[in-house]
Amino acid sequence: MLSVTAVALLGMTLIQPLAAQSTTLRVLVHQNPPMVEFMEAFNEQFQANNPDIAIDMSVVNANDLSTVTQTRLSANDIDVIDMFGFSNAAQPYMANVDPPNWQQLADAGLLMDLTDQPFVANYDEATIADAGTYNGRVYSINLGRVSYSGIFYNMDLFTENNVTVPTTWDELVVACETFTAAGIPCMTAGGRDGWPIFVGAYGLIGALYPDQAALVEGLWTGTTTWNDEQALEMWSKMQVYTRDMIESGASGIAGDAAPGRFASGAVAMFPGGTWYAPAIESAEPEFEWGYIPFPGSDNAEDNQYLFGKYDQGWAVAANTPNAEASMAYLAAFSEPENYQAFVNAVGFIPTQPTAQLDTRLGEQVAPYLANFRVGFEQYWVAPRGVGQYANPWASYFQPFGTFDDPQTLADTVQADLQSGLDAASN
Amino acid sequence: MTYHFGRGRTRWLPYLLLLPGLIAYFVVALGPSLATSVYSFTDATGLPGAPINWVGLDNYNEFLFLGQAARDNLNAVGRTLVFCFFVTTIQFGIGLLVAIVLNQKLRGRNFFRTLYFMPVILGAVIQGLIWSLFLYPLGGPLSQFLGIFGLRSEFLGAQPTEAFAWVIAIQIWANMGTTMIIFLAGLQTISEDYYEAARIDGANHWQVFANVTWPLLTPSVNTNLLLNVIGSLQAWQLFLVLLGYRNGTQVLGYLIYATGFGQTSGSMVTSFRQGYAAAASIVMFVLVLVIGLSLQYILRRREARLMG
Repeated sequence: MLSVTAVALLGMTLIQPLAAQSTTLRVLVHQNPPMVEFMEAFNEQFQANNPDIAIDMSVVNANDLSTVTQTRLSANDIDVIDMFGFSNAAQPYMANVDPPNWQQLADAGLLMDLTDQPFVANYDEATIADAGTYNGRVYSINLGRVSYSGIFYNMDLFTENNVTVPTTWDELVVACETFTAAGIPCMTAGGRDGWPIFVGAYGLIGALYPDQAALVEGLWTGTTTWNDEQALEMWSKMQVYTRDMIESGASGIAGDAAPGRFASGAVAMFPGGTWYAPAIESAEPEFEWGYIPFPGSDNAEDNQYLFGKYDQGWAVAANTPNAEASMAYLAAFSEPENYQAFVNAVGFIPTQPTAQLDTRLGEQVAPYLANFRVGFEQYWVAPRGVGQYANPWASYFQPFGTFDDPQTLADTVQADLQSGLDAASN
Repeated sequence: MTYHFGRGRTRWLPYLLLLPGLIAYFVVALGPSLATSVYSFTDATGLPGAPINWVGLDNYNEFLFLGQAARDNLNAVGRTLVFCFFVTTIQFGIGLLVAIVLNQKLRGRNFFRTLYFMPVILGAVIQGLIWSLFLYPLGGPLSQFLGIFGLRSEFLGAQPTEAFAWVIAIQIWANMGTTMIIFLAGLQTISEDYYEAARIDGANHWQVFANVTWPLLTPSVNTNLLLNVIGSLQAWQLFLVLLGYRNGTQVLGYLIYATGFGQTSGSMVTSFRQGYAAAASIVMFVLVLVIGLSLQYILRRREARLMG
């Protein structure tokens, strides 16, 4: 009898956790190690506070996020979705363009309307309007802004080599020459993923075209071209960046391995987004680093801007059978204490007014926050028919691409863009 | 009246037994193919609930004729043919050579057969991971080896031509085992009597190969050629895993995937355009069909001539 009771109790003990977690909430996020680490801890905390909900979180490469979002939404196999900020909406002067994928998802009725959820009020109104609202309804809460136009630098290497932190393009060139002469690679980047090479040089575009919304309109209307004199200066500098500044072999470094390489002290600088800061700190907590806007202009005053974007946000599948659990999840995440911990972990510039970026990164970007601007990539929408080179990407230059002459590349880029513009105007 | 399968139950049972296979074929192969051809005339996004509008030939017009993008697409078609040519010829040649060597009575031949076939059972992701590590330019095994001679390369991150050549090499490595096994099976069907007779007639090694082995391998040659050509024309997974979306390296199969699923660059917001991707798929289907049927016609004539 005693043994039967013991077995029954044991059985109840084993069965209880399974029976208690009656809801499995399926969450999709993109690969960003500090963010994933935070989310795993947050999920554990959430499950402890909500024993009836189990979290099943999937992590995918950023390149695959839209594909997986589409397929899992189609299969009704996801509840909470990680979504990049609402951007790239078609402007009145644009024609023959495709709506961005977030707009297609909202138009298809696949995203839940979050407008009346109380946690939306935790975020600042401008963010909700700019990066979560479509047709007057809120479909996403955006979790932070990031700069992608700065450079991380190794303070110790700068001191040891008597190099001053560059504030102009000429100073940056001299700094790189000094490091290279000392046998220290000047910059690294996660070239294996492709985009870190050209995103690393977005500061160059920003320094030369401070008003990036006007740049996009100018390209569309023909008042600006990618092969005019100003653009040629940009291309020439991009060539120096890819040829002389980025270290050999960077094309083999994975995007999430680059922060570790920089933190190891092997290279002097690392052009990239602020989202890399937690990974750098995690790799080498004692490592002394700073973050400056990419000094792309010869005039120091032009190099005071940080350009970036609204990064990750949360959206919910409209057809989720776990709507209540999804709302509880987002409400818990949006509590100021949890959100502050999230910001500290991932290094986002906060979108909740009560939160502060109370980290080394926060100190580094504080002087430039008043000059934060949304960057080209968030405004640009290409017309159908453009060629494959119709972007201001440094990665077109050797060794990552095929071009070794700025004028030839400038003409190719403009021709590729013009073919799409011509098609749109016909 | 002629009853193909007899009378009564024996007459309809074969059809009944064929039914599951036919249903499976319609559901997983023919049905989606027909749906793709219909989708190619629409602006379908692939999203449930999204409206689908008939756009006629717009997708084909855009893919083949609109702006520089159309010329880039045609370049991708050309690149696909180049990829097909090199993969087919090299894989065919190496597969045949290895099969002939491993058909000899050598010690450890079963081990080597397994070794050469092993890449086939690995998925594209594992294959890509293995080669990404092997070709890591900052201290990877091949980088260190080249370093001994003062050479260096960016390998998969190098100029598009070199990166493309690496994908050809890896595609061959990944699939050569299949070619080898088919040739091995073919070689083992050739009776030893033919070789013995040829040797008695004084034939040297080359004459034995040219006049005995090669003609009698015709069914294996045909199978391998068709599989290699069709497989390489449709290749896309290794391009995704090894290179991602990179100018100057896309082949048609990868272009279709990237377009259909809004995947061009991780940092840019893109659109879901499955109607357009379906049109590109049909272009590829026509390409494969024309090349495949032409090749099959030539190979059948050759087989009839050699085998009677």
